[in-house]
Amino acid sequence: MIPLSHYLILATLLFCIGLAVTITRKNAIAVLIGLELMLNAANINLVAFSRYDGVQLQGQMFALFVIVVAAAEAAVALALVVRVYGYYKIADLDKLNRLKG
Amino acid sequence: MAAGVLLLPLLGALLVLLLRGRGHWLMIGFQAVALLISVYLFSRLWPGNSDAATISPALTHARWNWFTPGAGYPFTLGIWLTIPAALLLVVVNGVALLVQLFSVVYMWKDPGFNRYFSFLGFFVFAMLGIVLADNLFLIFCFWEGVGLASYLLIGFWFNKPQAAAAAKKAFLVNRVGDIGFLIALLIFYAQFRTLDLAALFQLMPASYIQSGDWQAVWSGAAGALPAILLTVAGFGLLMGAIGKSAQFPLQIWLPDAMEGPTPVSALLHAATMVAAGVYLLSRVFPLLTPMVLDITAFIGATTAFMGAFAAFAQHDIKKVLAFSTISQLGYMVMGMGAGAYDAALFHLLTHAFFKAGLFLSAGAVIYALHEAAHRRHTHFDAQDMRNMGGLRRKLPFTFVIYLLCMLALAGLPFLSGFLSKDAILTGTMGWASVARKQWGILAWLVPLAGFTTALLTPIYMGRQLFLVFFGYNRLSDGNEVSYGAIREVPMLMRFPLLVLALLSLGIWFSFDAFDFQGAWPMRLLQLPQVAVPGSLTEYQAANRLFDIREAAFRYHTFTGVVSAILVLMGLLLAYLIYHLFNGRGSFYNNKFVFRSRITRLSYSNWHLDAIYRRTVIAFGLGLMHFANWLDRKVIDRLVDLLGMSGVVFGHVVYWFDRTFIDGAVQVSVWVAGQAGHFSRSMSGRVQQYLLIMLACMMAIILWMFF
Repeated sequence: MIPLSHYLILATLLFCIGLAVTITRKNAIAVLIGLELMLNAANINLVAFSRYDGVQLQGQMFALFVIVVAAAEAAVALALVVRVYGYYKIADLDKLNRLKG
Repeated sequence: MAAGVLLLPLLGALLVLLLRGRGHWLMIGFQAVALLISVYLFSRLWPGNSDAATISPALTHARWNWFTPGAGYPFTLGIWLTIPAALLLVVVNGVALLVQLFSVVYMWKDPGFNRYFSFLGFFVFAMLGIVLADNLFLIFCFWEGVGLASYLLIGFWFNKPQAAAAAKKAFLVNRVGDIGFLIALLIFYAQFRTLDLAALFQLMPASYIQSGDWQAVWSGAAGALPAILLTVAGFGLLMGAIGKSAQFPLQIWLPDAMEGPTPVSALLHAATMVAAGVYLLSRVFPLLTPMVLDITAFIGATTAFMGAFAAFAQHDIKKVLAFSTISQLGYMVMGMGAGAYDAALFHLLTHAFFKAGLFLSAGAVIYALHEAAHRRHTHFDAQDMRNMGGLRRKLPFTFVIYLLCMLALAGLPFLSGFLSKDAILTGTMGWASVARKQWGILAWLVPLAGFTTALLTPIYMGRQLFLVFFGYNRLSDGNEVSYGAIREVPMLMRFPLLVLALLSLGIWFSFDAFDFQGAWPMRLLQLPQVAVPGSLTEYQAANRLFDIREAAFRYHTFTGVVSAILVLMGLLLAYLIYHLFNGRGSFYNNKFVFRSRITRLSYSNWHLDAIYRRTVIAFGLGLMHFANWLDRKVIDRLVDLLGMSGVVFGHVVYWFDRTFIDGAVQVSVWVAGQAGHFSRSMSGRVQQYLLIMLACMMAIILWMFF
């Protein structure tokens, strides 16, 4: 039986990796990948904690909803990235600074 | 109709001012019409000519609403033609007409001819207003109108500093009396909410005095006033009369008023101005308490004596007459106070004629001398009696007129003055015999002053007669040539003189020269119903008057005989002192001055002017200096201080502004600048935002756990 802490450590590592990717990568697609990593780190947590709710499995159900929402979000985000790239011909977030001000 | 009489002189006065040429005929025409109407009105009111039923109320008492105060009765103005009013109407218009006729010649060469006639018209208008008005307030308005007219006429030759000063003096002294009048108006209005005389005469007896309170009885009576105010109101009215009629202690303006043209003096002294005070007393006679009447009698007696004494040592021909007017007005006021209401008005009537006659003949003398000086191209004071003497040979007509009027003033039997003076003296005797219950021996001082004055009057008038018309002509002392050039005055001047002299005869007033009670004015003038409420003394005012009149009957023969003897004695004394033992007037030349203490006292009118200068005027000047000092040292200082504090405050505000307001502004600018710096950190790089968010989150977590 794998103890709960292993899952939590895994999820933390995964979240940190995702965060690092989100913050450091220049390419917008890579940033989106980082975001997905962070979401899945949260999902691991939810599933892991769901062991303590043996009857209803609320954590696993919540993880499923998160996956669905993440899929939708990824679809929207990718569409945005494609449209931005089509307009500016770049996908470098450092250069896309129109929010400056 | 009475309103027509009132307005005709005013209309004349206004039209004369608009006229380009000489306007005397216009004014005289209007005046003549006014006189005719007055005579008609008087005849209508004569008892028996039309009984009370046929006289329409519109003729005797007409009222118009003026305005209605917020809460109360409408304020009415109106004309109330009583028998004394109708009598005065005839006298005023008659004397005014004669004076205007005289003035045509007298003022012919004056550049202000039309202005003069206009002022005369206004003067008559104001006086008629006093005579006719039915309302104390309206009387007060016309009262001030008379004051204004007298100011304008006394100061007619305003280029002369003395004339301007005299006009100012007359005006200011009259104001002192007017304050009293105004106080009386306020008291009556506060008590009865009306100043209508007829209403007052009905409300006054209805009011009563109970335990020191004067309670009015009418639908809206507000409550009681202190009983003393009833007497105060009477004193107020008396004060008005004192001012206008030149009574002690306000008689100082009258001698100075001689600066005006002489016909003006005639009008002012006979009919229009000084008579107003006595007439006011007669009009409000029912409202005067016994206390006020007694004081009136004392004041009148004092004035009569003081005026007669001051008339002794005057050089100016008009000043003698001025002081005699003061003295005679003292008689009238004394008579009023003594309850001899009819006698006082009778004397007002007779005095109006002979005093106008005297002034106009004095004017004729002045005119004749002036013309003579003009003809010979010399100059001397034409009013100074030291330059006269022996004029009876040159001015026989004027002399006869003057003699008649002067004897009437002196009170010689068979002339009008004797009758009216006798009536007043009898009245004061009656008063003294009743009033001695309150005043003791003092009460007899009033008739004593009356008789003394009756002795003094022929002496000072005789002095004037002998110095002006008899003896040597003292003009020859330096101006021989002028004496020869004196001519009798023109016919137009003689006519008014003749009329006035004839009216000074006793026969017009009473067929029996020694019986004033048979005189028609005495029978015509009924003592008005006394309206004073309550018993201020031990018995009612009306009863007291009745007693006085009862007592007076006993003294009738006594006063007649005594005053006739006194007059003859006085004339004899005057002849001895001023003619026979005076070198037939030769010592009284233009170097003569009064030296002895008693003559100087008379010459300076009891030093009253000096006394006023040292007391009232000195006080006024002191007050003025004090106010000036206060103004400069205190008020100005305060203002300076205020300005100073403003400057100091300004500095404080400046400092505050620089430090705090500007500081606050700078702080906000700094904040805005910092905000700007901060906003510059918004680089638009999403990952940087995320990093900041992460840092913040880490900080929060750290803060939460540790």
